[in-house]
Amino acid sequence: MYGWIWRHLPGNAWLKALLSLVLALGVVYLLFQYVFPWAEPLLPFNDVTVDEGLGAVSGTV
Amino acid sequence: MSVRVIVRTFSELCITFGALIVLFVTYVLYWTGVKADAAMDGQLDQLEDRWANGAMTSAELEAAGGSSDVTEDGNPPPPEPYEDGKPFAVMYIPRLGDNWTKPVLENTKTGTLKKGLGHYASTAQLGQKGNFAVAGHRRTYGDPFKDFPKLRKGDAVVLNDGRTWFTYRIENKKPYKTLPSDIAVIDPVPRKSGFTDSGRYLTLTTCEPEWGHSHRLIVWAYLDSTQPVDDGKPEALRR
Repeated sequence: MYGWIWRHLPGNAWLKALLSLVLALGVVYLLFQYVFPWAEPLLPFNDVTVDEGLGAVSGTV
Repeated sequence: MSVRVIVRTFSELCITFGALIVLFVTYVLYWTGVKADAAMDGQLDQLEDRWANGAMTSAELEAAGGSSDVTEDGNPPPPEPYEDGKPFAVMYIPRLGDNWTKPVLENTKTGTLKKGLGHYASTAQLGQKGNFAVAGHRRTYGDPFKDFPKLRKGDAVVLNDGRTWFTYRIENKKPYKTLPSDIAVIDPVPRKSGFTDSGRYLTLTTCEPEWGHSHRLIVWAYLDSTQPVDDGKPEALRR
């Protein structure tokens, strides 16, 4: 997988390393910006309210 | 496909998955706090701006024919309805730290609680008869209620809505542990709180255990005193 990416990056080893770094940072950015904010509410740390049930004025989280 | 390729790919996937988990833990433990601190500062700034510019001072309000800071029965005037999802007050709890200052926003949705404490929209307004109930994160998003179990009877919970300082005093000996379904804890006269008559109460809720969600911790407080902001900080915050 990573070998395949390495082989398909253009340039010499230095450029490949630089591009790999950019790719990795890009993935981390996407994770922190979009994927983790989506996944985090699925964890229990958001449950701080007492359940007001259906049709309550304020939602429970 | 050779065995070598399969083993190598499997190893790479395992390493990737491990790295993903490390990143996610970093996000939950650290990054949510960084974001929440910035968001809370933003909310506090927003409040200060509004109080400095838009909102009427008590004198202006009086001149406009509105109620003054204290009504005839010696109680603060009813505030305007709170704007959904917007900050309307600042909370100080000296027991949780001298610099413990958090904005209180209207409603208790997930997005709101990322930016501060959330006021249960169905409960009373600040300083009014009934129960002013507020929820906050125990962990993640700045850990506002991390030290919740340290709260004890007599501790001050001070709020400022731009016009009035409200000093509430905690009534519980120590925080009351209950189930998430126990909505009676935010009733106008909260059950199990020890209060029997109607009055001006405050309820704080957060999760228990620290990293779980099976229970809730509750403290109740009663309104001890109020004073106009022009008179300076209340005694509970002077040191």
